[in-house]
Amino acid sequence: MPGVYISYPFCSQKCTYCNFASGVFTRNQQERYDVALVREIEAHVWQWQPETLYLGGGTPSLMEFGPLESTLSPIPSGALVEATMECAPGTVTAERATFWRSLGINRMSLGVQSFVPEELRRTGRRHTAQIVESDIQVLTGAGIRNINIDLIAGLPGQTLASWRESLSWVERLSPPHVSIYIFELDEDSNLGREATLGGIRYGAGLLPSDDAVAEMYELAVVELAGLGIHRYEISNFAKPGYQSRHNLKYWTGEPYAGFGLDAHSFNGGTRRGNVDDLNLYLDRMEAEQSPAGEASTVDAEEERFFVGLRLARGIQPTEGEWRRFRDPIEQSIRDGLLEREGGWLRLTPRGFLVSNEVFQNFIEVRAGLV
Amino acid sequence: MDPRFIRNFSIIAHIDHGKSTLADRLLEYTGALSQREMMEQVLDSMDLERERGITIKAHAVRLNYKADDGNMYELNLIDTPGHVDFTYEVSRSLQACEGALLVVDASQGVEAQTLANTYLALSHDLELIPVINKIDLPSAEPERIREQIEQLIGLDASEAVLTSAKNGVGIREVLEAVVKRVPAPKGDPAAPLRALIFDSWFDPYRGVIILARVVDGTLRVGQKIRLHANGRQLEIENLGYQSPKPIPCNELTAGEAGFIFANIKTISDAQIGDTIVEESFPDVDPLPGFQEIKPMVFAGLYPIESHEHGLLRDALEKLRLNDSAFSFEPENSMALGFGFRCGFLGLLHLEIVQERLEREFQIDLITTAPGVRYRVTTTSDELIEIDNPQKFPDPSSIKHIEEPIIDATVITREEYIGEILKLLEEKRGNQKKFEYIGGGRVLLLYEVPLNEIVLDFYDRLKSASRGYASLDYTLSGYRISPLVKLDVLVAGEPVDALSMIVHRDFAYERGKALIERLRKLIPRQMFEVALQAAIGNKIISRETISAIRKNVLAKCYGGDITRKRKLLEKQKEGKKRMKRVGRVEIPQEAFLAVLKVGTDTSE
Repeated sequence: MPGVYISYPFCSQKCTYCNFASGVFTRNQQERYDVALVREIEAHVWQWQPETLYLGGGTPSLMEFGPLESTLSPIPSGALVEATMECAPGTVTAERATFWRSLGINRMSLGVQSFVPEELRRTGRRHTAQIVESDIQVLTGAGIRNINIDLIAGLPGQTLASWRESLSWVERLSPPHVSIYIFELDEDSNLGREATLGGIRYGAGLLPSDDAVAEMYELAVVELAGLGIHRYEISNFAKPGYQSRHNLKYWTGEPYAGFGLDAHSFNGGTRRGNVDDLNLYLDRMEAEQSPAGEASTVDAEEERFFVGLRLARGIQPTEGEWRRFRDPIEQSIRDGLLEREGGWLRLTPRGFLVSNEVFQNFIEVRAGLV
Repeated sequence: MDPRFIRNFSIIAHIDHGKSTLADRLLEYTGALSQREMMEQVLDSMDLERERGITIKAHAVRLNYKADDGNMYELNLIDTPGHVDFTYEVSRSLQACEGALLVVDASQGVEAQTLANTYLALSHDLELIPVINKIDLPSAEPERIREQIEQLIGLDASEAVLTSAKNGVGIREVLEAVVKRVPAPKGDPAAPLRALIFDSWFDPYRGVIILARVVDGTLRVGQKIRLHANGRQLEIENLGYQSPKPIPCNELTAGEAGFIFANIKTISDAQIGDTIVEESFPDVDPLPGFQEIKPMVFAGLYPIESHEHGLLRDALEKLRLNDSAFSFEPENSMALGFGFRCGFLGLLHLEIVQERLEREFQIDLITTAPGVRYRVTTTSDELIEIDNPQKFPDPSSIKHIEEPIIDATVITREEYIGEILKLLEEKRGNQKKFEYIGGGRVLLLYEVPLNEIVLDFYDRLKSASRGYASLDYTLSGYRISPLVKLDVLVAGEPVDALSMIVHRDFAYERGKALIERLRKLIPRQMFEVALQAAIGNKIISRETISAIRKNVLAKCYGGDITRKRKLLEKQKEGKKRMKRVGRVEIPQEAFLAVLKVGTDTSE
C-alpha cells in the first residue's frame, strides 16, 4: 500500500547542517504556500488509499491549525495506519499535541540532533535536553507514543565522549525509534560549504574526523542494541514493531506520492520531483502549472541494490539479479562488505559504514553527468 | 625598395610592460590598421597568446611611415616571443633586425627577462632605443628608470623616448627615433641571395609558411631556392608581407622581410635560423648562428582514458606540424599504460602543449613530472642520454652522470633576498654574482642544475618574492653529479611514473616529502595502503594510508532516491578519473606530486 509525503519547508531558523530546500521565508510566502499546497493535493486523483502519511520539513510542527487541517483533509484516510509529523523540539504544546492527535497523527519525529548544549548552539538549534524531555511527556500525554529521535553524528565539536552523553539521553528517554544521520559534508548546507572552503564559521574547523564519526556510529549501533533498539536500515533503529512503515516504502520500492516543495513521488516505474525553489513552486502553482520536474524511469534492479541493500535484513535478489550483478556481488563478499545467507544478500557490519563503495558497483553512470 | 629607406626593428620588453599595446599604436599611427579594424592586440593572434598576455609566434609587420624628413620609410616590426623558453627563436628574430626598442615600464623598471634579451640584442650589434612606457601611471618614475637603464645596461638613456602607449603619447617620437637611430640594412641587392628564416609555421591550407629577412640579393616568385641546412630545393610559389593583413608581392629585396610559400609540407624542413640561398648560387656562406632546436625538458603525457591513446598520437602529430621544437616518442608505463615521452623547450612550452591538447583536442591528460636529459657514462665508457627515469641504467653499470646546468639571472627587491638565496641554495645553486642595481633592487647570477628549475622553481620564486622577482636562464653546460633514482612503491608495487632522479644528498629528504605528499593526495581505499620510497632495494621512507572508515549516505529527504543515485554516480565518476595501479586508485594530482616535493611538507 502506498504512502504520502507532504513537504512544509518553513523554519524559524536555517540550521547550519541543513541541506534541504527548507529555511526561513516571509509570512507572505508561507500564506501563499498554504494555499498552493492544498491546491496541489486537491488536484491529485487518488487511485489508491494511502497507508502511511509523512509530514516532513522544514518544521511542519509550526503549521497553523487551519492550514494543517486543510492540508490533511483532502487525503483519503480510511487506510491510514501511520501518520508521522516532523517536529522541532520546543514547538510542542498540549493544545497542539491534542489537535495533531485529533487529525490522526500518531507518530512524531523529533529533530533533536544532539543533547549537548554546545553542539546544539553551533547548529543554530535553540532547544535543550530538558525541552525534549518535556515535549515527549506532553506528546505521550496526548496519546502520541510512537516517537522518533533524530541524532546527527559528525557535528562540529562532537567527540566520542559528547556522543556518549547524547546516547545516554536516548537511554533515559527510551523512544521506540531512533535515526542516526551521519553529517553529509556538501555544498548545500552552510556548514558543509564553509568546511569545503576551509573556513571556520559554524564551527567548521571543529568537525570530527571520518574515523571519529565512524566510531560514533559503531558505538550507537552497539549501545542502541543494548536498549533493544535495533538497526533495521543504515540510519534507522527501532524497538520491535516500531519500524517506520513510511520510510520502509522508500527502501522496498513501494510507491508514494509527494506534495509540496521538493517533494518526490514514485509510481512504481518512474520517479518525479517537484521543483526545489520556493518562488518557482509558488509561481507554478498560482499559474495552475505542474510543479513537477522531469520524470526519470528507474532501473528497478539497480535500485534494489543501492536502495534495498540499505536494509539490515538485506534483499532477496532474483535469479536475473544474481546473474547480472555476479561480479560486484562476489567482489564485495570477498572484501567482507556483503554477506550471503540462503537467498538473502546483506551488508556486513563493516559494510554499513562504507555502503557507498558497495552501491557504486551496482550502478551505471548515466550520460550527461559531471 | 632602396635599403636606405628600410628599417627593421623589434621590441624588447618584459611581460606586461606594454609591448603589444605599443605595437598596436605603431600600427594604428602608420595607418596599417584602422581603429575599427583593430582587435585589442593584433600581434598576438593565437587565443592562448592573448589569454596569457605573451607572444608565442614571431610575426613581421610592415609599416609605411612618412617621416619628418619628408621621405617615405618601410618599417618592418619584427615581433619576438617573450619567454625564456624561446631564447633561440628570439635571437633569430633579433638577427633579422638592425635595431630594437627597449621598452621599460616607468614604475617597474628593468626585469631579468628584459636584461637577457637586451644582452642578446647587443650581441647582435643592434641599435637599442630605450622607451620608457606607462608614464601616465601615478607611480611612474621616468628619471629613476632612466638612471637604471644607464647603470644596469650601460646604455645612454638621455634620449630615451617617454611614452604612454595606452594613451597614444609619444608614438610619433618612437617612429622618428626608429628612422633616425636604427641603421639602414647593409645588404647588397646585387649579391647572391642569402635570407634568414626567423620564423615558420604550418598552415593547414597553405602548408609551411616561412618568415624571412633578405640579407643579400633578392627573393622572387618562381625562383629556385635551396635551404642551406638540409639542402632541400624548392620553388617560391608566393611572396608577400603582413601589413598586418597578408599582401602578396613579386619580390623581396635585400633589407626587406616577408613571408614565403614554397610548398613545404613539414615544419622541420624549414628550420628557424637556416639560410635560404639561390639554387644557382649555393656556395655562399650561410648566415651565422644556426642551431638545431633541442628540447630541454621532458615529461610523459598519458591519456586518462587508455582508449584515447590513438587520439593523443594524432593530436601530437598535428601539434608537431606546427612546432618543430616539440618532440615525442611512444612510452610505456606500467602504471599509466601507453603514452608518449615528450620534449619541450621549457616549462611554459610544456604547459602550452598540454593546454592545447586539452583545449583543442579535448583529451584528458596525465602529465608526469617534468625532467631533463642526463648524460650517463657507463663503466664500459659508453655515453647514453637519459630523459626518462624509467630508463635509468642499473647503478652498478654507471661510471658517472652529468646533468645540464644553467646560468640563472634573477632580479628582485632587496627585502626578498634572504628567502631567494635560501631557495637557490636549496636548489643546489652556486652564486656567481650578487649586485645591487639601484632602486632597492638586486641582480643575482647563479649556476643551477636545470633539473631543479623544472621542479617547482618558478612557483617557489614567485612566493618567496611575492611576485617581485624575474628570472631568465641559459644553458651553460653539463656537470658530473652524484645522482640516484628514487622509486615509489604503492601497496608494494613500484609505480614507474612516480620515479625521479635526484641528487644523492637530497634523496632521503625528497623521498620522505614525496611519500608524505602522496599520503595526502591518494584517497583512502577499502584496505590499508603502504607507500614507500626506495633507492634500489633500500626503503628510505614509509607511510601508511589507513583503510576508508566511512562512506555512507544517510538522509533520504522525502524519498529523493534520485539525489542518492546522483551522489553515487558522482563518486563513481570521480574514481574513473583516477588511474588504477594494482587495486589502488591514484588521482592525477599524485603524478605531479613529485613536482612539489620540498615545497612545504607541513602543508
